[in-house]
Amino acid sequence: MKLDRIKIDKYRLLEIVSPVLGFLASLVVLVIIVVAVGESPVKAFVAIYKFSLSKSAKLATILSMSIPLFFAGIAVAFAFQAGVFNIGVEGQYFFGGLIGALAGIYFHFPPFIHIPVVIIFSMLGGALWALIPAILKVTKNVHEVISTIMFNSIALALLNYLVNDPLSGLGKGKSLEPQTAKIQSTALFGKINGFFRLLGWNVPDYVYLDYSLIVAIIMGIIVWFVLFRMRYGFEIRAVGTSLDVARYAGMKVKRLQIAAFLISGALGGLIGLQEIFAIRGYYTYNIASGLGFDGIAIALIGRNSPLGVVFASILFAFLKQAGYGLQFYTSVPNSVIYVITGLMILFIVVINEITAGYIKALRKKEAL
Amino acid sequence: MNVPLLEMKGITKRFPGVLANDRVSFDLYAGEVHALVGENGAGKTTLMKILYGLYSPDSGEIFINGEGIHIKNPREAIHHGIGMVHQHFMLIPPFTVLENIIIGEESHRAGILKLDEPANKIREIMEDNNLIVELDARIENIPVGLQQRVEILKILYRGAEILVFDEPTAVLTPQEVHELFKTFREMKKRGKGIIFISHKLDEVLEIADRITVIRKGKIIRTLERKEATKPLIAELMVGKPVLLEVKKPEVKVGEVVLEVKDLRIKSPRGYDVVAGVDFNVRSGEVYGIAGVEGNGQSELVEAIAEDVPIKNGDIILMGKSIVRWDVRRRREAGISHIPEDRHRYGLLLPFSIAENLTLGMHYREPFVNRLQVMNRKAIRDFAKGVIEKFDIRTPSEMTPAHALSGGNQQKVIVARELSAEPKLLLASQPTRGVDIGATEFIHNQIMNAKGEGRAVLLVSADLDEIMSLSDRIGVIYKGRIIREFQRSETTKEEIGFYMMGEKEAEKEAGEGASGGGEERADKAADKGGSGDEA
Ligand SMILES: Nc1ncnc2c1ncn2[C@@H]1O[C@H](COP(=O)(O)OP(=O)(O)OP(=O)(O)O)[C@@H](O)[C@H]1O
Ligand SMILES: [Mg+2]
Repeated sequence: MKLDRIKIDKYRLLEIVSPVLGFLASLVVLVIIVVAVGESPVKAFVAIYKFSLSKSAKLATILSMSIPLFFAGIAVAFAFQAGVFNIGVEGQYFFGGLIGALAGIYFHFPPFIHIPVVIIFSMLGGALWALIPAILKVTKNVHEVISTIMFNSIALALLNYLVNDPLSGLGKGKSLEPQTAKIQSTALFGKINGFFRLLGWNVPDYVYLDYSLIVAIIMGIIVWFVLFRMRYGFEIRAVGTSLDVARYAGMKVKRLQIAAFLISGALGGLIGLQEIFAIRGYYTYNIASGLGFDGIAIALIGRNSPLGVVFASILFAFLKQAGYGLQFYTSVPNSVIYVITGLMILFIVVINEITAGYIKALRKKEAL
Repeated sequence: MNVPLLEMKGITKRFPGVLANDRVSFDLYAGEVHALVGENGAGKTTLMKILYGLYSPDSGEIFINGEGIHIKNPREAIHHGIGMVHQHFMLIPPFTVLENIIIGEESHRAGILKLDEPANKIREIMEDNNLIVELDARIENIPVGLQQRVEILKILYRGAEILVFDEPTAVLTPQEVHELFKTFREMKKRGKGIIFISHKLDEVLEIADRITVIRKGKIIRTLERKEATKPLIAELMVGKPVLLEVKKPEVKVGEVVLEVKDLRIKSPRGYDVVAGVDFNVRSGEVYGIAGVEGNGQSELVEAIAEDVPIKNGDIILMGKSIVRWDVRRRREAGISHIPEDRHRYGLLLPFSIAENLTLGMHYREPFVNRLQVMNRKAIRDFAKGVIEKFDIRTPSEMTPAHALSGGNQQKVIVARELSAEPKLLLASQPTRGVDIGATEFIHNQIMNAKGEGRAVLLVSADLDEIMSLSDRIGVIYKGRIIREFQRSETTKEEIGFYMMGEKEAEKEAGEGASGGGEERADKAADKGGSGDEA
């Protein structure tokens, strides 16, 4: 029995390091491309190092960048657990952000109420944007991949219109980017950098470690608890494992899928917290795009588990930061940097999937 | 005849918490059927998977024609002339029989698939081995028995000399088993070696030349056919003498629990798979449905268990129509269901046995508290009790369900459904793939349920099972219950006869003169039957 345990752990370990393998492979890709565009790989690595791991400030930046990525990953992962492929996190994030921002602009509360209110409204907005695809899926069998992609486009167009016209917070004639009115100060997210400094981590003022980090930690724990300790989480995972078995066991399969879809949307609604409430203080459709899609890769790398998503989102933040480093310190053109980070992500996901598949086959063979 | 076709020596395979194969030695000669029998979880499938390259053994050697070989994967196994007929067929439903046989081995000329040559070769194999199938038919349109033939053709086409059959008869009708054995005999004549795994000892005694008994991973003994008897094999398997009978409790049959009225269900292909079924089941009664698979019994049970669309008729549970109820409501009203396809409907394979044992009750106290948080200790404790009571062979209650042997997976489902204390138990093929000891146990559990006044609807392809458990028997044919018998007033032969729909056919041929009279007689018999019990 003792021996068996060690064997099991060997595979478990391999499974955990498989994203690392993917990461190493992606570095090879990086070198090849850098050489191909005529830049020195050493310089590239130095640039990346300087911009990511060299100073505590850079590490703090990575942590800060990982917050929205975490929400994106956990949103996609939650739906995955129920066997729902929510590609629409992007749209849910844009829409949830707007609803949260409106609650921040037009409501008047003291901060300790206003902040939870904007969080809840962001979630409601995200869930609302997932509602129609969810209903279409379970009642009309419309595949969620199609409907959510369309809803992403609808969200963008709608928000573009809303922010330019009815909800515009700009006076006439100003040439700033279209945006809403300012969010009330009572709803703005403060920083907790000071707390980290107390712990001895020298986080400079320009880095955003704000309340959204606390929200992320709390949400991560809640999601884990719901999925792995509560009845509905059990049912959601059962539905994701086998629809037929879940139905035979008397579970309300359709309701569970709708619920998982909406919760996924609600989690997606939180992606914008940091940018809207801590960084900008207003809403614009120019908030960072593409995060919802990053969430898919993050969920894949994180194997749909909350803890896995934590690591995957930090890895992602590192990659983004590495891209900025290349931009700053090397002559690699910007467009090529996008290609590089994109390829690195692709390689990590693919290699991770391949090694994981291989380990699974090995495991099956030894049946551990 | 002195060098064996296959020899496995000292094979050991350990899984977490179990020694599945413990220095197992097994051999097979050309031209023989060597049966491998043993309890659920004894290690039969494991040994065969090692032979086929699906598992790697911890130690041991494999020789083919006296030559030591290493088998790393199924491709190498096939290369060495080893073929395996899996219990879950590996066929592509929309493809034709021919396409399925040649897939992976196809040859082409200028990119165009060559079909004539393979077709001729296959026809030859078919004729030599009593394996006739229509090559142009699509897999999805042919019955299970023929699909199995396609599997066999597939491995013969690849030149297999050693054929492994892991419980091939579990899914077959008695007629199909008969045909399969004919094929075995043909293959024997051609010098093939056949390894045959089955829990049905009558079949083993009918076809095997030698019988090897494995218990808890160890070979106990290899018997020659002439020294083998059913009680001896059973005793070697279990380690103690087995009583091969069920105690039928004396119960007063009570009120009607389930009533099905003129039920019709349309199949996706347009015809009525269930074409007007009427019957009832009373408390303390086992109603057996006998029939060749594919005559509507699956759809009938499904309609009672869950809310599938029905075309006509009514299903009444204790006086209330349930056709509009969802599964949860039906379960709460007291319906339990042992589904026929345990992988598809019965188990969450990656989840633990404990979780699988509480499935369907998982939302009730004590398995969740008022805040809907799962009480993991209660779940585990419950599971431990059930595992003990039903003798489920598993290292622990936290083992994932996929790690159990087939028969033990079945026991998990039976245990769960009976633990729910149902008013009506729907049991579809409840002992499929289960060993004799466990079959006896499950039969006795069903009898206990009857004794406690539960109503049982039993569907089984195994006539012996139907005959030994049922109080009343309905024979289903082409979606209708064509005759209903009191158990005491019929014989296995008579039921088997009706299962083929032969009387029905006769009746139709002689429609008018004698046919009408017979039909009336049938009806009278039915009435008489019901009258007796009331
Ligand atoms: N993949 C696996 N992982 C862990 N344990 C396994 C695995 N496969 C089989 N076992 C264990 O090995 C033992 C032998 O299983 P095996 O499937 O060979 O039994 P079997 O003789 O074929 O039984 P059955 O008649 O029920 O099919 C059982 O205790 C089973 O729980
Ligand atoms: Mg087996």
